[in-house]
Amino acid sequence: MFKNYLKIAWRNLWKNKGYTLINVGGLALGMAVTLIIGLWVQDELAHNGYFKDKHKIAQVFQSQTFNGKTGTGPAIPLPLEPALREGFGDNFKYLVMSSWTNNHYLKYGETSISTPGNYMQRNAPELFGLEIIKGEKDGLREVNAIMLSEATAQALFGSEDPIGKVVRVSNQHDLQVTSVYKNIPFNTSFNDTEYIIPWDFYVNSNEWIKNSLDNWGNNSFQLFVQLADNLTMAEVSARIKDVKKNASSDTEEFEPTLFLLSMEDWHLRSNFVDGKQKGGRITYVWLFAIIGAFVLLLACINFMNLSTARSEKRAKEVGIRKSIGSQKGQLIFQFLSESFLVVLFAYVVAVVLVLLSLNGFNDLARKEILFPWKQTGFWAVSLVFVIFTALLAGSYPALYLSSFRPVDVLKGTFKSGKYAGLPRKILVVLQFTVSVAFIIGTVIVMQQINHAKNRPVGYDKEGLIQVPTFSQDFNGKADMMRTEFINSGAVMEMSTSSSPTTEIWSNRSGFTWEGKPEGFQEDLAWTEVSPEYAKSLNLKIVEGRDFSREFASDSLAVLINETAKAYLGLTDPVGKYLKDEDEEDPNPPLKIIGVVADMVAQSPYEPVKQGVYVYDRFNNSSYYNLRLNPNKSTSANLAVVERVFKEHFPDIPFEYIFVDERYGAKFASEERIGRLSAIFTALAILISCLGLFGLTSFVAEQRTKEIGVRKVLGATVFNVWNMLSKDFLKLVVISCFIAVPIAYFIMNGWLQEYPYRVILKWWIFALAMLGAMAVTVLTVSFQAIKAAKANPVKSLRTE
Amino acid sequence: MLLKLNNIFKWVTTGGQRIFLLKDINLEVQEGEFISVMGPSGSGKSTLLNVIGMLDTFDEGEYNFLDESVHTLKEKHRSNLYKEYIGFVFQSYHLLDELTVQENLEMPLLYKKYKGSERKAMVADMLDRFNIVGKKDLFPAQLSGGQQQLVGVARALIGKPKLILADEPTGNLNSQQSEEIMQLFQKLNKEDGVTIIQVTHSEMNAAYGSRIINLLDGRKI
Repeated sequence: MFKNYLKIAWRNLWKNKGYTLINVGGLALGMAVTLIIGLWVQDELAHNGYFKDKHKIAQVFQSQTFNGKTGTGPAIPLPLEPALREGFGDNFKYLVMSSWTNNHYLKYGETSISTPGNYMQRNAPELFGLEIIKGEKDGLREVNAIMLSEATAQALFGSEDPIGKVVRVSNQHDLQVTSVYKNIPFNTSFNDTEYIIPWDFYVNSNEWIKNSLDNWGNNSFQLFVQLADNLTMAEVSARIKDVKKNASSDTEEFEPTLFLLSMEDWHLRSNFVDGKQKGGRITYVWLFAIIGAFVLLLACINFMNLSTARSEKRAKEVGIRKSIGSQKGQLIFQFLSESFLVVLFAYVVAVVLVLLSLNGFNDLARKEILFPWKQTGFWAVSLVFVIFTALLAGSYPALYLSSFRPVDVLKGTFKSGKYAGLPRKILVVLQFTVSVAFIIGTVIVMQQINHAKNRPVGYDKEGLIQVPTFSQDFNGKADMMRTEFINSGAVMEMSTSSSPTTEIWSNRSGFTWEGKPEGFQEDLAWTEVSPEYAKSLNLKIVEGRDFSREFASDSLAVLINETAKAYLGLTDPVGKYLKDEDEEDPNPPLKIIGVVADMVAQSPYEPVKQGVYVYDRFNNSSYYNLRLNPNKSTSANLAVVERVFKEHFPDIPFEYIFVDERYGAKFASEERIGRLSAIFTALAILISCLGLFGLTSFVAEQRTKEIGVRKVLGATVFNVWNMLSKDFLKLVVISCFIAVPIAYFIMNGWLQEYPYRVILKWWIFALAMLGAMAVTVLTVSFQAIKAAKANPVKSLRTE
Repeated sequence: MLLKLNNIFKWVTTGGQRIFLLKDINLEVQEGEFISVMGPSGSGKSTLLNVIGMLDTFDEGEYNFLDESVHTLKEKHRSNLYKEYIGFVFQSYHLLDELTVQENLEMPLLYKKYKGSERKAMVADMLDRFNIVGKKDLFPAQLSGGQQQLVGVARALIGKPKLILADEPTGNLNSQQSEEIMQLFQKLNKEDGVTIIQVTHSEMNAAYGSRIINLLDGRKI
């Protein structure tokens, strides 16, 4: 019996190849989108899954309040570690202090590489459960040790055995390789930790860290913990909440609150608003899951519409089968098994599509997703997916088709169009509502990205490169290098800065100034720069003057930006002083000599932060900012710069960053979303149009006789085209009016996350509506014109 | 007695008026009869046939088929009843286009839970009996009208029904094909004792039967 069903289904599919192509093709596209999104969601949810104890691992987070605004982050002060270890040691299995992940130079023999890594305390390998492939498990026991990832060991040593060899770090320290650990997968928070150096080494070799050992105000470090057995994050968080507040009266006014953020939340739920966990990447996971569901729904609607539209053809079969003795249930089962066959077929095609597009998708989404061939779970879920889709797509047609009465259909007078008309119209409306909403959403995302991209950044980022200068080799050589670079002809101007122009690495407070309001807790972005900073960046001086080497007093001068001028409440800032609040041992006051234009250093979606640019007295340079000669090609300039660089720092790899590229990277995540949603929108529209195309061809076929009669009575091709198109266009117009308010509501909410955002204009919606209508007319016209041009004599004879 | 209709009424209401499709029909059919139903278009012939075949319902009256009172049966029972005892032959054959001759013949058996080997034997037997073994793998579209109707009759017979209902079985055939089908019906009726009720416009066809029922405007005359 089942075989008979499949046979009929198969022959039906084969006989109506066009219909099958549309049906299977549409479903396969929809299923492929859903599969890819499913894989993506799964990858997002499995983030950090590599760490077996992820439910016990946490990072200590801190919330502090400045001027009523609560900020939350993972940066904590040094003395917190001994305080937790001594006062709350029972709660933790391991406590591990860690630096941020930064690039350093590693050198062995002639091989020199720049690669990111961390300084961590001794228990790090156990806390994270690193797999040691070579060497000892306790690799961080000795102070001058270094643990390497497999990839780093390979890069430095090739086939040599790295254990016991000495690596030179930052061209300064010699560390002995104690062990090699298995590469930490891409899909984790530590995917760029290519080596680990003992924490004590970090402390010993940096004066500023030693000075911070009992400083509760310097939040510059990270602390990872693994909980003791039988304790929950919430319990321990509650216990350690006030440790910092109680330990340091200086920071009390900022109400520091400590808590643990579970590793399971790092990736998807690490966004905080007013000290509370809110949103984060999980929003996008939901967003894409919903998109996936909708695209699948669109494909299923196609299936339903085409199946019911074709019902006239199947009606006879239903009638015959019923007159021969088939029960309704048997017919339902037959049609369901038919849709199962189609869906299964579509699934196979979808898997092929996924395999073909996975690489491109990985590039686009910055993922390293592999097709899960070997996971039985995946195939089990796939089976459920196929059955679910078959039921979703097939139930309505099965119920509809099996309910025909044989007397009606066998008389030959049966016309299905009228019966199924309304539900089919509703489904088309639903389809186009989703499509139009997708179009509007995508256009708005694109607009927002462009809006932020076109925002004036305040300086000239083209033709500007930054060279990192993290090693102590660079100390005191900036002026000399500036002369050398300029003399080489490749560089117009050079400056140094303590942070890149595209980021703010340091914030300061603790100043007083004329007219400072009582109790004001200031927070200023702090960048230490050489005198030519503004010149090299083409940063405009709005008031006062730039730094000058001619005034010795400028070593205690600062430039402030326009936002800072307003923030500090100074109407005439030039000549005013920023004084140290500390009255016992004050730093010298800083004189404001000028105001520079605001430059976008952080998020292009946020207002510029109030900032000060301080004359760099202490060699705190992290980057050389080089303004390249605009009259020469970039590659020629770079070759010269590299040569000059290598003359003076032969042991340090020459690295540089194009500032415009680095700035462009700020849009990466939005651009990814934009591009992905554009693709999914295009597919959604394609699927909807496929359905519409199929539907039109059936309607045209159904109305062949009517069209013939009309033509005989004098209708033109245009009349007929108009008649057929109007019906569908009406539905799409209805969809537009449903989609617009929904899309407006959702996208407006999305935009609220961006303080610097595009204003929603009515024409975006009008354009999306027009676009949808144009696509509809195009799709429908093909079939409509074909039907309209048919010779009426022929069509009337066939009746 | 095979079936008995008592005071059957069937109507539709249009514009507040009842239009009778069947009006006070009384009919008793014995096993082995060959009845022809005649009458002009719209006189209710097909409706009567559909009522007898239980494909259509009626509004008033009683219908007994082999001691079962059809009017009180539920849909599912009814379909079990006609599946068991009635075979249909249609004017436009109504074979399934996607199935071969052989598969079309097999289909009724699928709904009756015969085993695979039994089905094969029955189909082979039927092909043999109707002399269409050579055509078993052809699709309906590849056959002439007469051959299609032959398959249609074979399909109606394969479940060994007591009653065959034929709605203008020769309506689409030429005179030679018609005669063949009619002779076949006569043979089935005489030799196998199958009861046949056919609707026809042709006096010639009606002559093959043992009794003629004339209808006019839903009434027996």
